[in-house]
Amino acid sequence: MTVRKRALAGAAVLVLCIVVAGLVVGEFAAPYYQRLFMTFLVNLIAVIGLQVFMGNSDITYFGHVGFMGISAYAVAILATPVAIKRTALANAPFGLGAVEISPLLAVAVAIALTLAIAFLVGLMMVRQTGVPATIATLAFLVIVHVVLVNWIDLTRGPRAFYGIPVKATLGWALAAAGFAIVLARAFRDSKWGLQLRASSEDLAAASAVGVRIRKLRLAAWMLSAFLMAMAGALFALFIGTISPGSFYFDLTFLTLAMLILGGMHSVTGSVLGCIVVTVGVELMRYLESGPVVASLKLPEMFGLTGFFLGLIIVLSMTFRPSGLLGSDEIDDLWHRRRLRKAGVEAS
Amino acid sequence: MDYLLQQSMNALSLGGEYALLALGLAIVFSVMGLVNFAHGDLITVGGYAMFLTAAWLGLTNPVMLLPVGVFSVVLFAMFLERVAFKPVRGAPPTTGMLMAFGISILIQNLALIFVGTRPKAVPTMDFLMTNITIGSVRIPMVQILETAVTAIAIILLVVFLRRTTIGIAMRAAARDVATVRLMGVRADRVVAAAFAISGLLAGLATIFIMARRGAVDPFMGFTPVLKAFVAAVIGGFGSLPGAVIGGFALGIAEIMLQVVLPSEIAGFRDAFIFTAVGVLLLVRPQGILGQRPDFGEKS
Repeated sequence: MTVRKRALAGAAVLVLCIVVAGLVVGEFAAPYYQRLFMTFLVNLIAVIGLQVFMGNSDITYFGHVGFMGISAYAVAILATPVAIKRTALANAPFGLGAVEISPLLAVAVAIALTLAIAFLVGLMMVRQTGVPATIATLAFLVIVHVVLVNWIDLTRGPRAFYGIPVKATLGWALAAAGFAIVLARAFRDSKWGLQLRASSEDLAAASAVGVRIRKLRLAAWMLSAFLMAMAGALFALFIGTISPGSFYFDLTFLTLAMLILGGMHSVTGSVLGCIVVTVGVELMRYLESGPVVASLKLPEMFGLTGFFLGLIIVLSMTFRPSGLLGSDEIDDLWHRRRLRKAGVEAS
Repeated sequence: MDYLLQQSMNALSLGGEYALLALGLAIVFSVMGLVNFAHGDLITVGGYAMFLTAAWLGLTNPVMLLPVGVFSVVLFAMFLERVAFKPVRGAPPTTGMLMAFGISILIQNLALIFVGTRPKAVPTMDFLMTNITIGSVRIPMVQILETAVTAIAIILLVVFLRRTTIGIAMRAAARDVATVRLMGVRADRVVAAAFAISGLLAGLATIFIMARRGAVDPFMGFTPVLKAFVAAVIGGFGSLPGAVIGGFALGIAEIMLQVVLPSEIAGFRDAFIFTAVGVLLLVRPQGILGQRPDFGEKS
């Protein structure tokens, strides 16, 4: 099999796993776990969006959640019924108070808006190397947050934005997650993805063989922003109530921990990290509330979830800086096993 | 005129705070290439050390708390270097940066678990809270001291880096660590010194931040260190003079905007500033004094 076919096969297996899990959850799980699974899918899309830029360009990037925020608020402002907006957004600027479009159209507009903003930020991003680039994305996140909190007429400020039509179904979320996985794998193993990964290992060498680094970085950046916008829109249409705090440091830490644990150079790793961290965080939430375990009353420990995420990052960096899977994809693992088997038979 | 003087004092003291923190970041980065995201949590740790000393040992005399604040920060910075950053020395920069990021989350949440979310009051010296009246201008003591301490710290740092052996070794290590080691200087000692100085500068900043806020909470270190990072990027990341220039530039810009912006949009101040920094980086990717990013192509 060629590399590209293998990549598609690997992506197909991942998508299949997610879809089967989704069908099982949709059919049998209690409502609480259905919601948990939906959140998992939203986070999964975000983590894959993060992987597309961070994993291929090797630039650490903290601003991704900002794109989710922009997109989620755009959907909220456009798709919320006029009747709710009359009280919730009484002074909406640009006549947005009277606008109500279908959720699907709102998602399209939100993604277009996010991409336009991402392009402007990206122009600056791709001219940076290393540290200033990272700080710039952090500054971008703060800018988005400051605007969401202070533009009260448009976003209700720090208060929750409620009344967004809850239209995201499990089917839509599964489709979006599957699409994200295939897109990320297709990019990673395309000619462009390979060139970008080469440039992240040796900028000068890649440049010398004619890799157009800035253009490729911008492409990965836009693709990443696109997936983030999708995740944000899905989040808004699934939860129905959002606030600026939903798209700030908590979500940044969570998605980064997921990506780092699984291995940021691998899409399979991102999925794996997402699963492990989701389960871990759920366990920590339970312990945090001070439950009774084996007739032993545990104390309430607010902050345990954050501690767990920090610990995951620190332990990963100490023992396995490239994550659980390193830069291996699921099909790389098979391929190597098959080669090893063939080697054993031959000898 | 009086108003102008008052505001420029404001700008200088705020700029001084940013400069102290940005210098600490730049020293560590120049010696070992580490982007220390946990730098802000040094301030938090210093604040909690002062709070706990006051609460447990009954040492409520604010003058005695000052050395506690400074030295706990220095010790903690050196402790972090030993425990957390030694394993990632020589690793790719991303690894070190994410390590520091994880450490930062750990410290914040440990404080959250063991001390709680609510701010804890830390006694401050009344002396710092007094105002000095010059003509018709009243200037808070804390601002005068902060500006003066920053200036003295920068001068001492320059002397240290130029006159002492370890200082010269640190400057050399910023250029080429391998050669410094070949000259028989122990890398451990250079890195430890860098962290100690970075901690000392952060400790001084802690004193003034605590004097202004009067209380410590788990997340208080984030905003100052973000500003310090931005200051360091404005000046050119890794350049020590750049960190100072960037710190003061940022402080002056913030106070100017605070004065100029009408109150309806005053909340957007940081958004304006960061956008301006973004534009600056678009025009001049290397910052004011930094090295131009090398894409391996003809310029």
